[in-house]
Amino acid sequence: MLEIKHTLCPSCSVGCGINVILENNAVVGTFPYKRHPVNAGKNCANGRNSIGNFVNKINEASISQANVDLDKAFAEVSKEINANDKVTVFLSGNNSLADAEAIKSFSEEKNLDLVFYADDLRNFEDVASYDDVEDASCVLVIGDVLYENPLIGRRIVHAKQNGAKIFSNIKAEKSVTANISDETTSGSVQEFLDTYKDNLDDSSVVVFNTVDCEDDLDKIEELGFKILPVYSKTNTKGILSIADSNSKEEIIEALNDTKVLLIFNDDVVDDFDFDFKSISKVISFSAFKNNTTEISDIVIPIKSWLEYEGSVVNAMGETQTFVPVMESDVLSVEEVIEKIKG
Amino acid sequence: MSYVLAKSKDEEIHKAGECGGAVTSIFKYLLDEGLVDGVLALRPCDDVYDGVPTLITNSEDLIGTAGSYHCAPTMVGDLIQKYLIDKKIAVSVKPCDIRSIDELIKRHKINPDNLYTIGLNCGGTVSPVSGRKMIDLFYEANPDDVISEEIDKGQFIIELADGSEEAVKIHDLEEKGYGRRNNCQRCDVKIPRKANLACGNWGAEDGWTFIEINDEKGQELIDGAKKAGILETKSPSDAAVEGRSKVENIMIKMAKKNQDATYPSVNGIDDWSRCISCYACRDICPICWCYENCELNKSYFDEKDIPPSPIAFQGVRLSHMSFSCCDCGQCDDVCPMDIPVSLIFDKLQKKYCNRTGYVAGVSTDSKPPLYSPDKVEL
Amino acid sequence: MSDDLKIVGLLCNWCCYGGADTAGTARMQYPPNVRIIRVMCSGRINPSMIFKAFDEGADGVFVGGCHIGDCHYDAGNYKWSRRSKIVEDILEEFGIEKERFRHEWISASEGEKFQTTMEEFHKTLTKLGPLELK
Repeated sequence: MLEIKHTLCPSCSVGCGINVILENNAVVGTFPYKRHPVNAGKNCANGRNSIGNFVNKINEASISQANVDLDKAFAEVSKEINANDKVTVFLSGNNSLADAEAIKSFSEEKNLDLVFYADDLRNFEDVASYDDVEDASCVLVIGDVLYENPLIGRRIVHAKQNGAKIFSNIKAEKSVTANISDETTSGSVQEFLDTYKDNLDDSSVVVFNTVDCEDDLDKIEELGFKILPVYSKTNTKGILSIADSNSKEEIIEALNDTKVLLIFNDDVVDDFDFDFKSISKVISFSAFKNNTTEISDIVIPIKSWLEYEGSVVNAMGETQTFVPVMESDVLSVEEVIEKIKG
Repeated sequence: MSYVLAKSKDEEIHKAGECGGAVTSIFKYLLDEGLVDGVLALRPCDDVYDGVPTLITNSEDLIGTAGSYHCAPTMVGDLIQKYLIDKKIAVSVKPCDIRSIDELIKRHKINPDNLYTIGLNCGGTVSPVSGRKMIDLFYEANPDDVISEEIDKGQFIIELADGSEEAVKIHDLEEKGYGRRNNCQRCDVKIPRKANLACGNWGAEDGWTFIEINDEKGQELIDGAKKAGILETKSPSDAAVEGRSKVENIMIKMAKKNQDATYPSVNGIDDWSRCISCYACRDICPICWCYENCELNKSYFDEKDIPPSPIAFQGVRLSHMSFSCCDCGQCDDVCPMDIPVSLIFDKLQKKYCNRTGYVAGVSTDSKPPLYSPDKVEL
Repeated sequence: MSDDLKIVGLLCNWCCYGGADTAGTARMQYPPNVRIIRVMCSGRINPSMIFKAFDEGADGVFVGGCHIGDCHYDAGNYKWSRRSKIVEDILEEFGIEKERFRHEWISASEGEKFQTTMEEFHKTLTKLGPLELK
């Protein structure tokens, strides 16, 4: 029977609402969630396509790409963790708050190395709300936010329509963000900030989803105006208050002498300039097949974003909760951790 | 075509309904008699601003769908086409819903024999998020305390939990950029005459629903529901009929005034420069049904540029379906970049209408004239 | 001709293409700016083709079909003639002058009509200058 249910978009940290259309416990489409205060029913292509993953759903555990009994896989994972002294756990912005807590305490208990990548951005205590962006008199944009995070981009468009000045720093030659900007530079972030900082006042906001280097983050913070960092994963902001983030270099260094790697709910192989196959055991906990599960030695299925309950913190620091909209007997990350502990 | 006043004989439905509960009663009759597999109607989810299309298969659940929701700019045409094509269903439809259904029937995408359509007169809908902001700004009330809203006599009226009402002139709200959605402001089809029945409170006495019976199937519905003992009817007075058509005419006049004022040329708006090629406008369009076979996805047309060239993107879409645009405004609603897409589609449908007399989803032609095999030139 | 105006000519196989052929065999001079694309019927031409031509740099698009009543496929040219109205309406919206888009019924024997039509069209486009799409 046809059902339309509310949920949250899993594709970035903006926190858009999205309705999914379900038929006999299978997701068949999306439907605009117009009541949602973040996006008023508007979703970008990534959001609407996020249900496309369900054709790649993983329902069974596998070892060396051959399906095995779930308990056998758990035993194998426990064995690997206990037998090796260098085990790294990859925490992801896709994990809910409760999942991240569980992963963290598990790592501490077993004395494992925890790494967490936050787009080379970091946590900022005070961030601007999306409404702040709309009401700003001037917006500095770093990165092609209109294209990459359209539902924040929309707030920048509103700001422009309200008379705000928009200045952007984008490395690409052509971009939609540049098209709505009063001025665009492609030089370094430092130069960009120096050039335009005099335009800022108390209502201005600096929106960014990328920077050149860590110093840029200090510089943005030192400006003393409202800022809004936008992350690429749903709950990166939330997890930043649970775990410290690592830079790409730090993570690659940690991976270099890793014997066993545990990846929770993420597809990381293409994000790092590193040969993951050189690790002796890669263990992936994932709801969907992806490039990471493809090279993993052990794959354990976990609940998908439509099947579990949890909460995440969106880019503007608001905690959002979601409930399961599909029935499933696959285990959640928390349950899986209980199993491999025991 | 004939008129009738109706109200529910079920006390609970009569109380929950907007004006007499006739629509809910007819749904109950259809479900209880097994004439349909399900009823597709709006049910408020988060609050009164959140009407979500819901397929009801048990008549006891119908009560949750009673009442009208103006902050629910939904579209059911493509839902029926994509997911309910093989089911017998009854559905409540706004004028733009039935217009899209009509266009899909003309394209053999919906089987009219499987469908009972109960039309709802519509003065326009309000977007939920901007509607709440509007109540916050222009009314004394807290948006959370509103239990229902109503458009009457040129006013947007809200009713609060304590029974009190507050009203603001729609004109004043719309002048400030709030009120009804832009496409509703210029929509001149207020009574869904292609549905089996067109129901509403215009011209009706308190506690009764004024129903225009549009076809035989509609008459059968009224007769059946009466026979089943769930609906009672009486003839409306001449004054009621006149009152109703007066409301309709005022609404249409208001729309025409907005039509004169709001059509820039496609080239005249610079919003296209922020188009991110997400295809949300195409994917939500109830008339577009080619999906993966869409011309825009063909290798010879796939635009790699972002923003895409307007003529290669919207131009192609315009030529494919603008003559059938029912101005439902869904494309505006879902555009992440707030580009007023529907404006150009509606404009082109009006141009087409000037050439051919064809009004999308309203005219009785068996096909839009473009598709006709007849040997005629325009 | 020293100009580089680009004209895309979509010609029906049965009539107008024959007309162009007739003009050629009789050595009638017509502007070399026209790039001819042969299609089986004017009724086969969809608006997207016209838009794509303009989008990719054509300054004018010409469509040639059989005279009404002569369609090899009975009613293709009626279909095209109705479709052309929509094309006109849409082009206007994108700031493309309606003179840049022309269609004409030309039979296989009307070489001269093809020649004069091309000359006229070229003259019109010369006056309008190259197309600059926004």
